[in-house]
Amino acid sequence: MIPFTTFGLLGLLALSIPVGVVLFLLAFGIDFFFSPFPLMRGLGQVVWSSSNSGTLIAIPLFVLLGEVLVRSGVAGRTYSALDKWVSWLPGGLVHANIATSTMFSATSGSSVATAATVATVAMPQARALGYNEKLFSGAIAAGGTLGIMIPPSINLIVYGFLTESSIPQLFLAGLLPGLLLAVMFMAMTAFLCSAKPELGGPRRSSTWGEKFRSLSDLLPVFGLFGVIVGSIYAGWATPTEAAAIGVAISLLIAFQQKAVNWNMISSALLGAIKTTAMIMLVVIGAYVLNFVLTASGVSRTLQALLEGLGMGPLATLLVIVLIYIVLGFFIETLSLMVATIPIVVPIILQLGYDKIWFGILLIIMVEMALITPPVGLNLYVVQSARKGKPFSDVMIGCIPYVLTMLMMVGLLILAPQIALFLPSTL
Amino acid sequence: EEFSVVGSWSSLPLHKQFETPFWTKTLSEVSGGDMTANLTTHDQMGVASGDVFRLLGQGVYDVAMTVGDYAVADSAPLEGLDVPLIATDADTARKMVEAARPMVDDIFRDVFNSKVLAIAPYPPQVVFCNAEVASLDDLKGKKIRASGRMTAKFLEALGAEGVNISFGEVPGSLQRGVIDCAVTGAGSGYNAGWWEVSTHLMTLPLGGWDPVVTAINMDKWNSLSDAQKTTLETAVKEKFEEPAWATAQDALENDIACLTGEGECTYGEARNLVLVRASEADSQKAREVLISKVLPDWAERAGAEWTKRWSETVGQVTGVEIK
Amino acid sequence: MTSLIALLRKINHWVALTVGFILLACVAFTLVEIVVRRVGLSLGGVDEISGYVMAIVTSWGVSYALTEMAHVRIDLLRNRLIPLFRSVFDMIAILSLAATGLVVAWRGWGVVSKTLSTGARANTPLETPLWIPQIFWWAGWTWFAVTACILVLSTLYFIVRGDHDRLDNTVGARAEV
Ligand code: NA
Ligand code: NA
Repeated sequence: MIPFTTFGLLGLLALSIPVGVVLFLLAFGIDFFFSPFPLMRGLGQVVWSSSNSGTLIAIPLFVLLGEVLVRSGVAGRTYSALDKWVSWLPGGLVHANIATSTMFSATSGSSVATAATVATVAMPQARALGYNEKLFSGAIAAGGTLGIMIPPSINLIVYGFLTESSIPQLFLAGLLPGLLLAVMFMAMTAFLCSAKPELGGPRRSSTWGEKFRSLSDLLPVFGLFGVIVGSIYAGWATPTEAAAIGVAISLLIAFQQKAVNWNMISSALLGAIKTTAMIMLVVIGAYVLNFVLTASGVSRTLQALLEGLGMGPLATLLVIVLIYIVLGFFIETLSLMVATIPIVVPIILQLGYDKIWFGILLIIMVEMALITPPVGLNLYVVQSARKGKPFSDVMIGCIPYVLTMLMMVGLLILAPQIALFLPSTL
Repeated sequence: EEFSVVGSWSSLPLHKQFETPFWTKTLSEVSGGDMTANLTTHDQMGVASGDVFRLLGQGVYDVAMTVGDYAVADSAPLEGLDVPLIATDADTARKMVEAARPMVDDIFRDVFNSKVLAIAPYPPQVVFCNAEVASLDDLKGKKIRASGRMTAKFLEALGAEGVNISFGEVPGSLQRGVIDCAVTGAGSGYNAGWWEVSTHLMTLPLGGWDPVVTAINMDKWNSLSDAQKTTLETAVKEKFEEPAWATAQDALENDIACLTGEGECTYGEARNLVLVRASEADSQKAREVLISKVLPDWAERAGAEWTKRWSETVGQVTGVEIK
Repeated sequence: MTSLIALLRKINHWVALTVGFILLACVAFTLVEIVVRRVGLSLGGVDEISGYVMAIVTSWGVSYALTEMAHVRIDLLRNRLIPLFRSVFDMIAILSLAATGLVVAWRGWGVVSKTLSTGARANTPLETPLWIPQIFWWAGWTWFAVTACILVLSTLYFIVRGDHDRLDNTVGARAEV
């Protein structure tokens, strides 16, 4: 059954069947060929209960928030302000890409939305200023992945939902690793571009006057982050309610920018519904597949397999990390999480690791999956903003950042406190 | 015969100490290898707790067990199995469950197309508070997290406000004051570290005893031979239900000892929550609220026929009359 | 055929806008709850109602995502094919979508009918009669199945006519996210 599932998954994906539907089809197949029970009778109930969730409504809300910000011009102004602050570094604008991604991560719950936002405002600059597009686009794809590490994060909400852990604690745990990862991305960029300046483009300098005048353009994003995260920690709102507050504030910002009109509201809503439906089809498919895999005993077999390796906690953890890297080539984000959490997290807890800490480690693996080919949503998002150039540019440009993420995994294993320090102060 | 079995919460003691050994070892031993089981749990399958018995009735698996309270969406009469506060010790709780058993049998046959094999206790649901509480009256005006309709209604009748948040969100919410109190089993609260964020432990079984129903799909049951039926029924009763009840009272005392440091904690480090035992006045008040408000409400939801059956059985045993 | 597809897109456009506004209404409801909770009151049931809204947003949103070609597909292999084979891939994809939609709608009805037969009410103080949210949820999936089946027919029509461009514009893969 395990080979059937693996090859079925890869084969159906290669046929370019929509990812969510592939998960459904696999579930149908396993039920039909391997299960003595009429599992499909439970299908309707699983679909209803997995989408009837007050927690998951944070997904459309955070997507909507991002849509409103892009359409009100906040995204563009943030980019040019950060350009003034960081583009003097070796690598120039590439740093602005990373910094803008980091800022947006603090208001957006999704990596795809973050990468899409930054790609829209940044890619035209690469052309205009004659940057090498490999590292430039790689930095957007990689920087965008921070969207699910720095709070708020849709993926951490789903992790908390599935493992019954505290979402505010997870959010706090993601903050330091997310910022550290952003700094490491910039260090890697500066290192590469010092060694080989042609990898980047012109360094840009601005006067201190320009720098300080640009600060006011950063206020909306800082304000939003403060309100979203602040309302959670002040005990005023649950993470889901904070998403609703975020939507309201972003609409106020848009209103203040005189960007609110029927066209803008309707296209923001349509964009949010489209993205949410796309994500949810994958989430529901993953639920159905997990239901079938557990009911027919595959999960138990896998669990026994992992436990039967008889290795120490660290070795087992490294094997799990390796499995995630490999799976991450083909599956990603929510499907990768929903399909593996029920199998992996119990093992991790048994080994004596912390649930919150593992959530953050898992997020790095998911971030990596977003920028590794062949299935890498962020690669596609960035590519779609630069039509007519080879796709391999983005892939190659991501390699240094994948290596940086691997370093971060090592750091997190050596020093769990990077993730656990902030939640312990709560 | 190999059964596909869905256990209750994978992390809770009832599953680890009783369900797992029974279904994976004992059953095969007593039947001489004739009956075995493949065990998983609803949380591992990603099945919502309220769907467990619906899917059992449809034959998605053979045997399932979960808290009766989770299934009350489909059957208001089933709420009568777990009325809060009328059983303050395990013996009374057991009498209550046994009195309710014929009703539960009928409900499971008609609503979930399945046959009840056993009803075992979870640790009773007690109240963790991050606020000064000394009596039931102090709960008035507090924001309390409770699961289950009847408990929520009971809290409302006391003048408290029911807040609906997920189990994992409770510690943070207690600490930040989103809620003042939360109801769960004493053992689960200990394991989930709720003692870190609360100050008081009220040991009134405000959430009832959360009896866990074990049931088998009716078609599957009918397909078994008489010998198999007898073996299964006796084994479940003697090797699962009995031992689970036998340890219930001690488990509660031990959990309380571990949480409050009063008495000896046998499984971990003792904590120091302030123990708030129910006074005579509290019990009186609880009964009064139950009889005047909560049970009449329920009687309306469940209908006259079920109310009558309840009064003649559970009501008789516990001395409660619905007006 | 082209006008039928245009009509389908238009309907889904309005469906998506409608659920979008339901989502906004849910935001407003949540904000009111946050505010009144500060003064010690509660509307109650925000979380429960958000859940129903999410189920309904999802079930009606999937058909909009479908006509907008937004469901993620891995098109590495597909993009290297000649138009005829590309169309065959698209045909397989839309057939799978339609099959999934039909199965979910069929099994989804089982949920609604069980709820109707037991008169199920939510296990919450609100005691919402569950058939109400469930019937809207089920109707969304049914509309998804209908939409997908219409697209299957149009794909068939375009394949027979060899009109691979139109086909690509109807059910092709878009890297856009
Ligand atoms: Na974020
Ligand atoms: Na990947």
